Amino acid sequence: MALSLDYVARETGTNLWRNRLMTVAAVLTVAVSLSLVGAALLLKQGVSTATTRWKGGVQLAVFMQPQAPPDQTRAVGDKLGSMQLVKRTTFCDQACSYKEFRTMFANQPDLVQSAAPADLPPSFRVVARDANHVQQVGSTLKPFAGVRNVVYAKQSVDTLLRVTGIAQAVLLSVAVVLLAAAAVLILNAIRMAIFARRREVAVMKLVGATNWFIRVPYMLEGVIQGLGGAFVAVCVVAVVSFLLRYSVQHYDVTLFQSIVVSGHDLFLTELAVLLMGIVVGAGGSALGVRRFLEV
Amino acid sequence: MIRLDNVTKTYKGTVPALRDCSVEIGRGEFVFLVGPSGAGKSTFIRLILREETPDRGQIWVAGWNICRLRHWKVPYLRRNIGCVFQDFRLLPNKSVFANVAFALEVIGRPKSMVTAQVPQALDLVGLREKWDCLPSELSGGEQQRVAIARAFVNRPLILLADEPTGNIDPGTSAEVTRLLDRISRTGTTVLMATHNDAIVNTMRRRVIELDNGVVVRDEDEGAYDAPVAPYDVPDAVAASVEPTSAGVEGLR
Ligand SMILES: Nc1ncnc2c1ncn2[C@@H]1O[C@H](COP(=O)(O)OP(=O)(O)OP(=O)(O)O)[C@@H](O)[C@H]1O
Ligand SMILES: [Mg+2]
Repeated sequence: MALSLDYVARETGTNLWRNRLMTVAAVLTVAVSLSLVGAALLLKQGVSTATTRWKGGVQLAVFMQPQAPPDQTRAVGDKLGSMQLVKRTTFCDQACSYKEFRTMFANQPDLVQSAAPADLPPSFRVVARDANHVQQVGSTLKPFAGVRNVVYAKQSVDTLLRVTGIAQAVLLSVAVVLLAAAAVLILNAIRMAIFARRREVAVMKLVGATNWFIRVPYMLEGVIQGLGGAFVAVCVVAVVSFLLRYSVQHYDVTLFQSIVVSGHDLFLTELAVLLMGIVVGAGGSALGVRRFLEV
Repeated sequence: MIRLDNVTKTYKGTVPALRDCSVEIGRGEFVFLVGPSGAGKSTFIRLILREETPDRGQIWVAGWNICRLRHWKVPYLRRNIGCVFQDFRLLPNKSVFANVAFALEVIGRPKSMVTAQVPQALDLVGLREKWDCLPSELSGGEQQRVAIARAFVNRPLILLADEPTGNIDPGTSAEVTRLLDRISRTGTTVLMATHNDAIVNTMRRRVIELDNGVVVRDEDEGAYDAPVAPYDVPDAVAASVEPTSAGVEGLR
């Protein structure tokens, strides 16, 4: 059966215009909720960049002097390998440090330019067998020749993780409630559109229009509302990410200094936001047409 | 074209609206469906349209056993059936042309077909000049003719009319019925439920009478009322049977 584009576009357009208040409400709700989702996702990715060093439960990092001779580095490595308290160690050489450095300071190009791999300290990443013994491992290694300093995960990232973790949970739960509200608003908008055109729908059924022919314009209407909201949210997320970058560069915000969102992360976040908009729109309108367009 | 085999239909929590009905209607026949209010005429029509399904029995329409018809095929069944109702069911915000065209557009027919067939259908009902009017600018009879054009524009095999003359005056009713008769001569099966005794008595076509959900009469060239032995016709009933002169005039 031919579903002419012209017909669908005309029907959807009139429906949206007739229910413009409902449409605006639905679009705004989708926009607000998806902005929150986007912000939460950005935060998650930013924090994950900021804590690259601590991935995989690393509790302790032993930084060597950048110019430490290889035998000093080997001595520290051997010591770590022989300690009962240590479960696992990985070594991050200067090239690896440089890569991390570039990721972490991606939004401060001047800083990245001024550094070379040779300036950066190699380090050992340590996982202890028992979290209570981390301190002990650290103080054993501190006096070794060539060791520059020892950094504990606790002091470095725990606060960041805790604060951002709470923020994410709050953002996501508010977003879920709002998304549900948005779906209901869309469902209701569809229901009203169908009710407003019940005569037409009755005639269509009588003369043998297929269910899909009747439904598609209404479903498209819901998808467009979802997409409209998602589009607004995409803009909001882009602005937020720009502001974040700007403030990190121009102000000294210690806690968030290390939060970096790369262009790639931003793109993925925006894509997720768009998809969610479509899903909410399609879901709401599918429920709407299913309940109100039975033969 | 239409066949009902021992069909029984009971709406929830009521006595049966149709009881053990068996009827067969051939291609191109013109049939009146008569009976008192609540006899089950509309139910009969709704069953053929598959707006309802019977509790027992089988219904065949245009070669399909519509009791076994899958849900998604119902629209394709309905494309073979045109429908006219007492209340016209025209779309008030569309012109005459658009109302008729709507029936083709929503079943995905190409524009060329719409521009070819809609004027023909309007010619058939004699409303070509009024193609741009809104339904509110037409008389009841004209509105019903637009509805007939809409029902016929897709050249259905069957045309169902549920009290098509219920809302219009006797003269115009006769005109509308004549139009349906003309349509039946093109090979379309026409089934018309009606209370209009004058029309039935003048046309003398096949009459199926329902009473209380039962087929009590199925007579070729029948009248509105059953032929009864003279001794049990009370005068009052006989008087009410007299056709109204206007209706008869209109048919001549
Ligand atoms: N949707 C429904 N739900 C329950 N009962 C119904 C429904 N439709 C019809 N009925 C009952 O079924 C019986 C037959 O109704 P139907 O509408 O077929 O009669 P009819 O012959 O068309 O009457 P009329 O001449 O007044 O239009 C009536 O008793 C009616 O009350
Ligand atoms: Mg009726």
